[in-house]
Amino acid sequence: MGLTATIARLAASAPARCFPLVGAQAEEVAPWLRLDPLLAIVDSPRAADVLLVLGRSDDEMLRAAAAVHDAMSPPRGVVVWSPDGVAPGRWPSSDAVIVREPGEIALTCRRLRDDLLGRRVTSSPDVLPDLDPAPWRGVGPFGQGGTGMTGGVPYGRPLAGRADDRDGLKLDQMLVRVGPFLPPFPPGLQLDVKLQGDVIQEVTIPAAIADAAGSSGGEAPLGAPGPRGHAARLAVAGDSPFTAALTRPVPIAELELPRARHHLAWLAEALRVSGLEAYGLRVLKLAFGLDLESADSIDALDRWLRRNVSLRWGTSHVGVVTGAQAEGLPGGPVVRASGDDRDARSLDPAYQRLGFEPVVRDEGDALARWRLRVAEARQSLQLAKRSGTSESTPSGVAEGPRGPLAADASPSAGLVALLPELLAGMEWGDAVTTIVSLDVGVVEPSEQRAAAGAGPS
Amino acid sequence: MSALGVIVAVLSVAVAAAVGVYIAAWVDIVLARAVAGVAVRPLEALVAPLSWGAAAALKARTTTERPDAETWALAPALLAALAAVGLAAVPLAPGLLAADVANGIVLFGAAMALVVVAVFLQGWSPNSPLPMIGGYRFIAEGLSYEIPLAVVLIAAALPARSLAIAPIVLSQENLWNVVRQPLGLPLYLMAALGLAFWGPLALPEGEDLAGGSSLEVSGVSRILWRIAQLMILVAVSAMGAAVFLGGWLGPLLPGAAWMIAKTLVLLVLLVGARHLVARVPTERYVIASWAILIPLSLLDVFIAGIQALVAAR
Repeated sequence: MGLTATIARLAASAPARCFPLVGAQAEEVAPWLRLDPLLAIVDSPRAADVLLVLGRSDDEMLRAAAAVHDAMSPPRGVVVWSPDGVAPGRWPSSDAVIVREPGEIALTCRRLRDDLLGRRVTSSPDVLPDLDPAPWRGVGPFGQGGTGMTGGVPYGRPLAGRADDRDGLKLDQMLVRVGPFLPPFPPGLQLDVKLQGDVIQEVTIPAAIADAAGSSGGEAPLGAPGPRGHAARLAVAGDSPFTAALTRPVPIAELELPRARHHLAWLAEALRVSGLEAYGLRVLKLAFGLDLESADSIDALDRWLRRNVSLRWGTSHVGVVTGAQAEGLPGGPVVRASGDDRDARSLDPAYQRLGFEPVVRDEGDALARWRLRVAEARQSLQLAKRSGTSESTPSGVAEGPRGPLAADASPSAGLVALLPELLAGMEWGDAVTTIVSLDVGVVEPSEQRAAAGAGPS
Repeated sequence: MSALGVIVAVLSVAVAAAVGVYIAAWVDIVLARAVAGVAVRPLEALVAPLSWGAAAALKARTTTERPDAETWALAPALLAALAAVGLAAVPLAPGLLAADVANGIVLFGAAMALVVVAVFLQGWSPNSPLPMIGGYRFIAEGLSYEIPLAVVLIAAALPARSLAIAPIVLSQENLWNVVRQPLGLPLYLMAALGLAFWGPLALPEGEDLAGGSSLEVSGVSRILWRIAQLMILVAVSAMGAAVFLGGWLGPLLPGAAWMIAKTLVLLVLLVGARHLVARVPTERYVIASWAILIPLSLLDVFIAGIQALVAAR
């Protein structure tokens, strides 16, 4: 047996490394893939075997996805899944493997990886042409000098300029567009950032993202646990009891368990971004198996969070949303972590009968948002347990995990609009901590847009 | 040193590095599974580093737009070479070390001070924003771990009145430095995390940068970089065992066994920190280092100096 074959056999026992591109209606599918032992979700496309295209994407996201695809190191493959089925032509590479059933995603990725290693399938070719955006006109031995080079925008990017920094010095300033598939960011979020070293000088929201976040958006919270483990969870992930509660009575337990699950899944991701991936997986497992008897586990989690000095150090006084800023937001955990007790459930007679009181914190920082969500998850379990057969009262507004849902309002729209003000002057790490702590949903409004016909067919 | 001696020295460092790196990778996997609440299968985890390495080795090396290819290729080799120099300065047992120099602790400190160059090259070379921020970060925090590291090592050398490692080990015959200088080892381990850009101080490669300085690395280069990083962890663990935990000193077992056991204890502590301590923000770490860690390290060397003076009387 040759050396390459031996290495390939060894490699086959490793999980398939996937880089997920999460589009609309898949935001609640992606986190659970981390629990599957067949897969390893990686942060860099350079390290991935399989590009996992989940959900629906508009043309702009697909263009970005193509660039991510071409950054992957061969041998590489593509697996595409969407809740409503995907025409192979939607993905620009014709060799993508289409998955119809969500429960088959992990196995399909693993088989594709094995086929790539065994050279039974060829590596996916580049989607985009390998061309410079503009002809290079440098003349020096290292390509420097010349007139205009590429017209002052080398390779499509403006040269670093000089600008005042926070200490009154003039330093290089770099304009970078980040997203829509940067792993620590919520899927779909794109920002134009002016950086001086590690410090953000200015943030602007690209017009397409601002439009998407501003459009009406329902959310698709996590479905209830089913009998087939991950596959069943994925199969129901597109259902949303919260959007249903806008127009019809829904059992309170069916609202509160998904809310708790959403908060815990968010916490798992927040822990991962903070460098505690293994503990994040523990929390994700808790979220996956959450039931009415999980209160003790959440209490233990809460105690661990309180005791962890390093987490407190990284989130305390970071990304403070002031009371005045919170007033301009429609509601949700971010608002309640800033001392504002708005919660659509307070107005629901069914919740009033259960003695519901919103959880509120005053600090307004990332730590307050972390703790508030854990407290709300705990409260949701208590409510679900006490509610019996009680049902919510439809009133045109329902409190989703990110905030109030209404026919014409998205809880995330105000948060996205707040980002430039919040992030200016922060170090990159604090900016990411802030964005994660806000739990912004960007791709769900895109889904509404696509469904309304604005997206490509 | 004869040619044979050089070969033996190089081989011994290579073996120590290979075994140490594999153990570190294995410990990392086992601890990650334990913290995640997943069934720990130590034997299965024993194969995992090999299979992960093999999977990465089969990937092609890709490049970025207009990278500095030479320095990018140099970065992992430089990091591994610096770790090897560090390891070479650590004696496994009396007389059993690759670089038997009179200033072993200086050699170790000098090699570790250059780690910042390797990490910066890794971040700067691919011509990509997030890796470059990673490189910037490491430069920004460099002094914050280098000063405490150097100062506590000097303090550990004071009782021995020597900069060679063997006399420092022997000076702990009656009392290990971890007891004699209680601030020394905790400060050393905190600085070691920064030096190895690992766990709470994985600032250049944090998840907030999607991998930072290693974001654009693929194929064999990715494995080499990870191996070199683990070699740094092994080197600092071995040096910590020698200068704070009495090195090869210990009853019953052979000296080398004690040295290996003590190194493993520190290695597990350092590797485990990744799963229990969150990443610390760069600015707050730098402030804490200059306000707390560096003054404490100066206090450590001050106490060691007084002890040395008293002992000399």
